[in-house]
Order: sequence, then structure tokens, then C-alpha cells
Amino acid sequence: MADTARRAIHVLVVDDSSLVRLYYRAALDKAGFHVEQAINGIEAMEKVLSEPFDLVILDVNMPRMDGLTFIRSLRAGRGEVATVPALMISTEAGSQDVADARAAGANMYLIKPVAEDELVRHVGLLTGAIP
Amino acid sequence: MAGRTGRQSPAYDITPDEVLRFCDFLYRRTGMSFSEDKRYYIDRRLRDRIDATGSLSFQAYFSLLRADADHEIEQLINSFTVNETYFFREDHQLKCLTAGLLDSIVSRKPPGGTVRIWSIPCASGEEPYSIAIWLLENWPQVDSYNIEIVGSDIDTRALKAAAEGIYRDRALMRLSRDIISRYFIPISDDRYQIDEGLRNSIEFTRANLIDARDMATYRDFDLIFCRNVLIYFDDASRRQTAENLCDCLRPGGYICLGHSESMSRISPLFSVSRFPDAIVYQKPEADHG
Amino acid sequence: MPALAAALRREGVPRVREAIMTALIRVGDAASIEAILPYLRSQDAALRTAAVEALCALRESLAPFMPQLLSDGDSDVRLLATELTRNMDAAQATTLLCDLIEREPHPNVCGAAIDVLAEVGTPEALPSLERCAARFSASPFLPFAISAAIARISGVKG
Ligand SMILES: C[S@@+](CC[C@H](N)C(=O)[O-])C[C@H]1O[C@@H](n2cnc3c(N)ncnc32)[C@H](O)[C@@H]1O
Repeated sequence: MADTARRAIHVLVVDDSSLVRLYYRAALDKAGFHVEQAINGIEAMEKVLSEPFDLVILDVNMPRMDGLTFIRSLRAGRGEVATVPALMISTEAGSQDVADARAAGANMYLIKPVAEDELVRHVGLLTGAIP
Repeated sequence: MAGRTGRQSPAYDITPDEVLRFCDFLYRRTGMSFSEDKRYYIDRRLRDRIDATGSLSFQAYFSLLRADADHEIEQLINSFTVNETYFFREDHQLKCLTAGLLDSIVSRKPPGGTVRIWSIPCASGEEPYSIAIWLLENWPQVDSYNIEIVGSDIDTRALKAAAEGIYRDRALMRLSRDIISRYFIPISDDRYQIDEGLRNSIEFTRANLIDARDMATYRDFDLIFCRNVLIYFDDASRRQTAENLCDCLRPGGYICLGHSESMSRISPLFSVSRFPDAIVYQKPEADHG
Repeated sequence: MPALAAALRREGVPRVREAIMTALIRVGDAASIEAILPYLRSQDAALRTAAVEALCALRESLAPFMPQLLSDGDSDVRLLATELTRNMDAAQATTLLCDLIEREPHPNVCGAAIDVLAEVGTPEALPSLERCAARFSASPFLPFAISAAIARISGVKG
């Protein structure tokens, strides 16, 4: 089932809000992406070390491990996982927040709330699904 | 397993949205998650708990669960997990030990150095004995290092049983005949005792995970098995325990949790380390920001 | 207490930061809460989230501080404060969060409050949720979140 013509693009959604995860998942499911979820940076790390993902979407403020700490440790790691593209979607809208995310190693930064089509378009661009 | 149980159909209804609410709570609190096709399984366990607590609706049960009245969270988790302790339980972690984890630990030790392993909580001893037997059977370097295994629990009756090392045959179901004959002595039809050499090689002590003073007497472990207890603790106790365990480990030392447990619900103090057979957690080598 | 709070201000090492927070939780009085509160405004995300977790563990003693936190001038603080009600008694949390979503201008603060209500809210929250949905009907996320929350609380699709 998993490998028909082409493997679906795997996206890991990391947010402590169950409704935000549900919202992203609904939008990305509809657009044909395969979606997994994690509640914070630690669970996200467990997931990315266990299976390959094409993109990680993540929030900044999360319990136990925030999004910036997650990207920093991801980028500091070895092997392919260190280069997985990361899309931050946060409520923090200051220019310092964007600069911090870039310094940590995020590839793109969006400010919440994000509309479905906007989300799908950015995920498409970052994963190469939309050339 | 399908079909009706004998019970009359209950007067309340659980709706799909209530199941979602319940699953979100369970996932946030424990990390356990279930896919859509497990819906029937969740429904049945949830109904069992609603009935067992005398709750008359999902909502009544859910408030009781949130308040953790009468340790309902523990009861609920028990209904979703296998509680039986037996030898070689969760053997993927034992495989992980001998497929890289121990090699990584001893790579920093001199030949003949000491490897300290702690099983806490060890309950009636199946876990520390399993570790010892697994290493003797599967780790080629077992004789090149001085291995110390300590088993601790808060329950002194369990510790007494652990030191005695007498088990019913059910606990041995995953062991081969060979292994049983090497490490156990039959003492009656269905009871076996761990042989004296092995019993004396493991130290059993009482310790309370949450008590920093208790835990301060344990230091310099290379590896801690802390399985199937943190999932039952509240946030404050998880926090305290994680800090205590961190202090009991050598820098770079590892923690193994139970298979339904995840450090993501417990503490930020450790980094995630992936070995082929299991995920384990590592204390940072040196403390920096 | 002032010594602990001062140590926290300087502290970048996670093990020490956690230990100080745990010590403050153990004391758990108004003074410990006041020592942690300023970190909700920290620029450092790790310190901010550590402060939220520590405050969450203090549940009941936190109640007197909540009305003020939920009407703080800084929307980032209001947003983090919604999470602090998650461990509270359901009726109390529902009242606090409904007061907030009735007047809160910032969609992200409402979104955070609704996430907590979806878990802990009582049916008393339903009218406030409906009014909030009407107020933010043009927002991308809130109508979706509110109908999911209503479904979870009432047991039926909204
Ligand atoms: C379900 S058993 C787990 C045993 C074993 N680790 C396993 O996975 O099979 C839980 C054990 O935790 C012990 N325990 C509970 N609270 C404890 C505490 N605060 N400190 C140490 N042990 C504790 C109980 O006595 C019990 O033996």
C-alpha cells in the first residue's frame, strides 16, 4: 500500500495544540500528504530519528522542548535527518523571533493563523511537490 | 474477540467526538495514541472504566479522570497496557543493550572497568535478573568488564521476593529450556528459583524515586532501566524523578523507559538517542546551555 | 526566595534551571509564583516554556493570579496564561476562559483558549464559543477550532 507509484510526501506536524494539529492534518491530508504528529520537540526528535520525513512543521512554544531548541539539536545531529527542511509557524511575530528561527536553522517562518491554502502551498514548495 | 460481552447495553452513549476528546487527553498525558482502526478497542476499554467507576455518562467519567479521583489515571493506563511482568519482557530493549548500547558505554572505559546498571523499579526482580541473564547469554564482552546490577523498589515486600528469586512457570514462558536449566533450579511442579550465584550477584535495595535524599545515595550509573512507573506519576513527581535520575547517571549515561512511555511527557533533561532496536535517552556529556 | 529567583535570571544550564523551578514548585506559595511569572515575558523560548510548566504544576494557588494574567497588556502573556488553566478545576477554567474569549481581540489568544476548552470545558462554555465563532467568522483557523471544541464538549457535531 505504502509504495504504489510514488511514496507520499511525509510531513511531521509538531504543535502542542491538538486543534492546531487537527487543522494542519485535515488540510494536508486533503492535499495528499502523509501526516504524522508530535506534541513537542522531544517527541518530534523521537519521530524523525525513527522514520524519514520530507518536512517538519513546528510551533515555537511547546512544553518540555520548544521548537527552536528542537531545530538546533536537529541541525547539530549527524546524517540525513540534520537537513530535513523545517517550517516554523508561530504566534510570535517580532523580527527578533524570525531572526532567532533563522539562526536556529528554520527554512521558513509563517505567522499564525495560517489559511489552509497558504499552508498547502508552502508545504508544497518546501517539499518540491509544487515545482 | 469480537461480539457482545454478557453485560446489558448501557444507558449512555459514547459519541465519536467524545472518543476524540478522550484520545487527545490520553495522548497529551501519556503519549499513547491509537489509530482510527483501534476505535473498537478504545471504546470497549473506555466503557469498562465508565462502568467500573459507576459513572453514568462519558462526561461524568471524564471529569473524574481529569481530577484523577481514586487514581483513575493509573487504572485507565492499566486497562490499556499489559501489566504482567515476566522474564525478557520488552526484549527489544535487551537486544538494544547488546546491539550497540553497551559498546557505546564501554568505549569510554578502561579494560576491566566497571559498568553500573540500575533497575528501578525492579518490582519482584524479573527485570534485573533478565538483564543479567541476557548479558551472560548475548554479550561477548561480558567477562571483560566488571558488571554491577542493582535492583531497587519502594515496596519492601516486592524486594524480599526479588532477593528470594522464586517464580511461577508463567513468568518463564519466554525463556528457552536451555536458559532455564542454566540459571534456575526447579523447586516444585510449577516453581523455579534463580540459582544462588546469580541471586548473589544482584544487590536489592529500597529506594523512592521521588525522594531526592533517598536517591542521593545512588550515583555513577551508566544505564538506568526505569520502566512502567513514570507514566503513572503526576507532572510534579515526574519532574522530581527525572532530576533525581539525571543526578544518578554518569555524564553520557542512558535511561530506558517502558514501551508505552516517552521522555517527551516527562523531562527536557535528556537527549533522544536512537539505536536500531530502541529509543533511549542520554544525559548530556557536559552541562551547557 | 530572592536568591533562587536571581539564580534563575542568570541560568542557562537546563539541569540547574529545572532544579530551581522544581524548588519553587515545592514551596508553591504566592512568592514562588511571583518569582516565576516574569519569565513568561522572557525572550528565551526554553525559559518561557519552563515557566509555563512550573506554573501549571501549581494549579490551585495560581487562581488568584489568573484574572490579571488573562487581561495582561501583552498578548503573548495572555496566550501563555491560557495554558495555565488546563490543570484547574473544570468549572473554574471554563469561567476564566469564557470571560477571555468574550472580549479577546487577538485570534491566536482565542485559539489557545479554545484548545484548552476543548479538553476541559463544561457545557457552560458553549454560548461563549458560539459568539466567538461569529466574531471571528472570517479568520482562517478559529471557526474550525471552535466547531471541533463544541463537538468535543457537547458530544455532537456543532
Ligand atoms: C508496574 S511495576 C514495574 C516493574 C518493572 N520495571 C517492569 O516494567 O516490569 C511498578 C513498580 O513501581 C514501584 N514504585 C511505585 N512508586 C515508586 C516510587 N516512588 N519509587 C520506587 N518505586 C516505585 C512499585 O512498587 C512497583 O513495583
